[in-house]
Amino acid sequence: MLDILISSISQGLLWAIMAIGVYLTFRILDIADMTAEGSFPLGAAITAHQLVSGTGPVLATLYGALGGALAGLVSGVLHTKLKIPDLLTGILTMTGLYSVNLFIMGRANVSLLADVKTVFSLVDLGNATWDTILVGGVMVTLVIGALVVFFNTEMGLGARAVGDNQAMSAANGINNDTMKIIVYMLSNGLIALSGSLMAQTNGYADLSMGIGTLVIALAAIIIAEILVRNLSFGKRLITIIIGAVIYRLIIAWVLDMGVDPNALRLFYALMLALFLALPLIQKQVKQWGERRENRQRML
Amino acid sequence: MPALVVRELHQYFEKGTVNENHALKGIDLTLEPGEFVAIIGGNGAGKSTLLNSVAGSIPVTHGQIKIGDQDVTYQNVAKRARLIARVFQDPKAGTAPRLTVEENLSLAQKRGQWRNFWANGVKKRDRALFREKLASLGLGLEDRLTAEIGLLSGGQRQAVTLLMATLQAPELLLLDEHTAALDPQTSATVMQLTAQLVAAQNITTLMITHNMQDALNYGNRLIMLDHGRIAVDLKGDQKQGLTVADLLRLFKEQSGQELNDDAVLLS
Ligand SMILES: Nc1ncnc2c1ncn2[C@@H]1O[C@H](COP(=O)(O)OP(=O)(O)OP(=O)(O)O)[C@@H](O)[C@H]1O
Ligand SMILES: [Mg+2]
Repeated sequence: MLDILISSISQGLLWAIMAIGVYLTFRILDIADMTAEGSFPLGAAITAHQLVSGTGPVLATLYGALGGALAGLVSGVLHTKLKIPDLLTGILTMTGLYSVNLFIMGRANVSLLADVKTVFSLVDLGNATWDTILVGGVMVTLVIGALVVFFNTEMGLGARAVGDNQAMSAANGINNDTMKIIVYMLSNGLIALSGSLMAQTNGYADLSMGIGTLVIALAAIIIAEILVRNLSFGKRLITIIIGAVIYRLIIAWVLDMGVDPNALRLFYALMLALFLALPLIQKQVKQWGERRENRQRML
Repeated sequence: MPALVVRELHQYFEKGTVNENHALKGIDLTLEPGEFVAIIGGNGAGKSTLLNSVAGSIPVTHGQIKIGDQDVTYQNVAKRARLIARVFQDPKAGTAPRLTVEENLSLAQKRGQWRNFWANGVKKRDRALFREKLASLGLGLEDRLTAEIGLLSGGQRQAVTLLMATLQAPELLLLDEHTAALDPQTSATVMQLTAQLVAAQNITTLMITHNMQDALNYGNRLIMLDHGRIAVDLKGDQKQGLTVADLLRLFKEQSGQELNDDAVLLS
């Protein structure tokens, strides 16, 4: 039981980095960017390839994240400069990235042998799961810290204004396109960082490891928002970690119940639909309660 | 040097289609620094189109627009923002709702300037200034610096938007029926605040209004637009002593139509 909790925390921390990346476009810019499903395996592919070619783990991880930022740049330019709708932009980049990832890895799957040094082997707590928690925890802390600082700078305020009211931001001299591209790059850089870390902890990079990342990210975000509504930016990011861990626990529980593996994705989709509808359901239930009370009062 | 020069400005909507609409038919307008112009005219006369052209939100295909010595004809909204500040009719339009009052003010303080990614968005030293400016509105907003601005009422938001527009004095201030969405009391307050802020920094201003009385009371020049043309242009002395009745008569002489007007409806 405790084992499940601990392994869920380790997995949740890495997922949280991706979910935070998705949060930037999804909630701050109000853009649905599906590039994630391509930039996540991109980060994994670059890092795995670099590690196998002998690059140090820190640099290899950094390259992975930078690759993701580049993918974000492509999506951002397609969306802002060529005015392609956000959903289509993501699909385009994601589709193209499939080939890019294949080029980088040379085959569908690259495994990291036990003697390959990863960022997780930089620490040694005597247990791989705890190593992941330590490194993942440090990473996620750095990421949140950096984002909180950035989104409170002059430029960061500008980026948030773009998501809020584009006529207003333009009227104040903010270049909406540039700001969106910057956030696209940050977002996909983080998603790729998460993919890079995932490859290192799992010991392999796989072409198909991006499938389902968006569902995980959205679930983590929505769970966080259901847990606590209306939070400041920094606190919201912290609750996303909790959301990711909870989602991981739910999945562990589902697996434990022995759900048919073929039905898993259907299950995840239904669960996410339920999460998305939950705020509305809560509101409805509350309204029914209030109406019932009011009816009794009016008798 | 004039503050604003508009030369031979034409605007067409849906040009080349059966719906072609020649919304501005050759506007020539020169504003001297410090002029405060009230613009009136019937619905669809082209008032907003004129302001949008000056601000850059509608591209100009025929004519020229200069602010000071700079030709801005082909500059976009963001580029012109260092010269122009704007307040819209909709109180929601001028602020970023999920940002706090102080964040909105800080944002506007850097209107048109480069934004660093190392400098704090809201600076400690500015808070005192913001508090003082907000206090001068008399709306009790000085204690709500860290409240999300979306939580403020329409009138409060519009007052803050005006403050934002003048925090860093623009070369040109554009107001498009900026009091029209407010109740009469708040509308009067915001109008007085406008006059105060404009006078304090001697800001060149274009203000669209449907309120004849406001058009007469405020500003030192009055322009009447009709079907995309400037029909009446009264400066200084000519504007003094004019009444709403005079205005309505002038309008009828120029356009052959009655002007439907809030001031008439209200009286
Ligand atoms: N984006 C647009 N597309 C097509 N036609 C437009 C557009 N904007 C304005 N028009 C037309 O241009 C003409 C002038 O409109 P404008 O909004 O400038 O009028 P206005 O003087 O501001 O009127 P109001 O007092 O109602 O605000 C109108 O006939 C209007 O229908
Ligand atoms: Mg108008």
